[in-house]
Amino acid sequence: MKNTSSGSVRTVLLAVLGLIWLLPVYLLVVNAAKPVDGYNAATVWKPDGFSLFANFADAWDKAALGGTVLATTLYSVVAPVLAVLIGAAAGYAIVVLRLRRGFLWFVFIFGGTIFPLQMVLMPLFSGYASSGLYDTRLGMVVVYTAISVPFSAFVMRNFFTGIARSVFEAAIVDGGSLFRIFRSIYLPMAGSALAAIFILQATFVWNDLLLGLTLSQSDSVRPIMPALTGLQSTYGGAALPTVLAGGLLVSLPTVVLFLAAQRFFSRGLALGQF
Amino acid sequence: MSSAVRDARTGGRAAPLFGLPAVGVVALLLYVPFLWTTYVSFTDYDGLESPVWSGLTNYKAMFSDPDLIGALTNTLLWVVGMVTLPVALGLVIAVLTYGHRWGTWLRLPFLLPYAISGVAVGVIWGFVLQPDGALGQALGFFGLPGASTGWLQAGPGNTLMMIVAVTWQAAGVNALLFVVGLQSIPAEPLEAARLDGAEGFRLFAHHLWPQLRPITTVVIGLSIVGSLKTFDVVWVMTQGGPGTSSETLALSMYKETFVLNDYGQGAAIALFLSLVTFAASVLYLRYQLADGDSR
Repeated sequence: MKNTSSGSVRTVLLAVLGLIWLLPVYLLVVNAAKPVDGYNAATVWKPDGFSLFANFADAWDKAALGGTVLATTLYSVVAPVLAVLIGAAAGYAIVVLRLRRGFLWFVFIFGGTIFPLQMVLMPLFSGYASSGLYDTRLGMVVVYTAISVPFSAFVMRNFFTGIARSVFEAAIVDGGSLFRIFRSIYLPMAGSALAAIFILQATFVWNDLLLGLTLSQSDSVRPIMPALTGLQSTYGGAALPTVLAGGLLVSLPTVVLFLAAQRFFSRGLALGQF
Repeated sequence: MSSAVRDARTGGRAAPLFGLPAVGVVALLLYVPFLWTTYVSFTDYDGLESPVWSGLTNYKAMFSDPDLIGALTNTLLWVVGMVTLPVALGLVIAVLTYGHRWGTWLRLPFLLPYAISGVAVGVIWGFVLQPDGALGQALGFFGLPGASTGWLQAGPGNTLMMIVAVTWQAAGVNALLFVVGLQSIPAEPLEAARLDGAEGFRLFAHHLWPQLRPITTVVIGLSIVGSLKTFDVVWVMTQGGPGTSSETLALSMYKETFVLNDYGQGAAIALFLSLVTFAASVLYLRYQLADGDSR
């Protein structure tokens, strides 16, 4: 009896807290859907009309999202894929091939996660400027890959440590080359870990502001978050519903990815942090 | 078998090939820049002419320039705010949802903001907090004071409100981590405690909380490291203003370097941030490793 009553208290508490949590989302959606003409800042809590798609289109044009969406998609697919492969190769070298002083190399690679981005921004900016990588898509892919490698190597090393040594020995006896063993045995086995890293890093790249702000400027290279800030800072130019529609639009991919892969995501999170 | 042993040795020789890309890319894009920033932090450098050695000048400036001291104070405020609010809320959400029949679903509203970028969080909360914005109107509707407060117009209030915004974003993921921690607690001792009559808060304080210590360390460690880097939300909501009232060190670094072209000063801030982050990371990694040993 007591148990059920405490259970319902729990449910009510959670429901109330959850509703409070959803209020900003409600405000975002409702106001992003209001027509720009006749937008009334005094009634933000009430829905009023529906021109969400017109506002999407408006944000798309004003922030030149077309180019940036394409560029950001490229970055958040290619860079994590590269990072996952590079990290897996490093894990394979260290754990399976028993690279000499492997642990030290692992510490070296993983050490890359310790620096705040701020620590590498300025030299990257200077280096990119003098090497012609500044404001190029290649440059952005390279930097996002580099940033994602340490975490990927970390997870992959952990993952490969859990695989029995006999798998490798058997493959060697069967005469597989080291590259083939990596590609057709170890990579496929690591599927779920690879996917978890990919999702986490793709989200990170999609949501990045600082690197994009620093290393790019043209509409076709600049990632989406700096573009959105551009839209926002011209508050006079872009009306509030347009800005909010932009915010909603750029959030949709990560929210959908997150909801679709929630279990996966949390497992990846657990993998990464422990 | 002897051929396998020989091949395994070949593996040892081929191993560097597989490790090279990771080491190379990390060295070139993270370590070399890191060393360069470290060097520049001891120089006077505008990004154009060669850096001129200036010893600790930039560091002295960091601890005497009122603007930077303000940024330092705000960063501290962020650290304190982020290890309390989102951590406590995360814990509450985790404990309330754990073992609940609809736990996964009830956790969803809190997880949703985590999938949203810092930039979008800034856009939403900038909108909520603008003078006579959503928050002001809600307060006015209920006849509460503060309806026309300019939430972001003065420090340290603006920093506090932004901490609230990030709490909204981060509480869910902390809850998720705490749930992972709760799952790892063995069920039998808990059952025994329940049979002994431990319930509600007592069960939590005496049986759950002590066992959650390792995960709490992780959550707090991540919160500290994350809060030291706070940039996006502040950049979007106030750009560190008005004036420099809401600047964090991460933002000051960006401004000094890329707006004021004082690369040396920016580098000094970056190095200081790195050292603090590093110290925090080592501290919590040591806890984690110690915990791993005891298992």
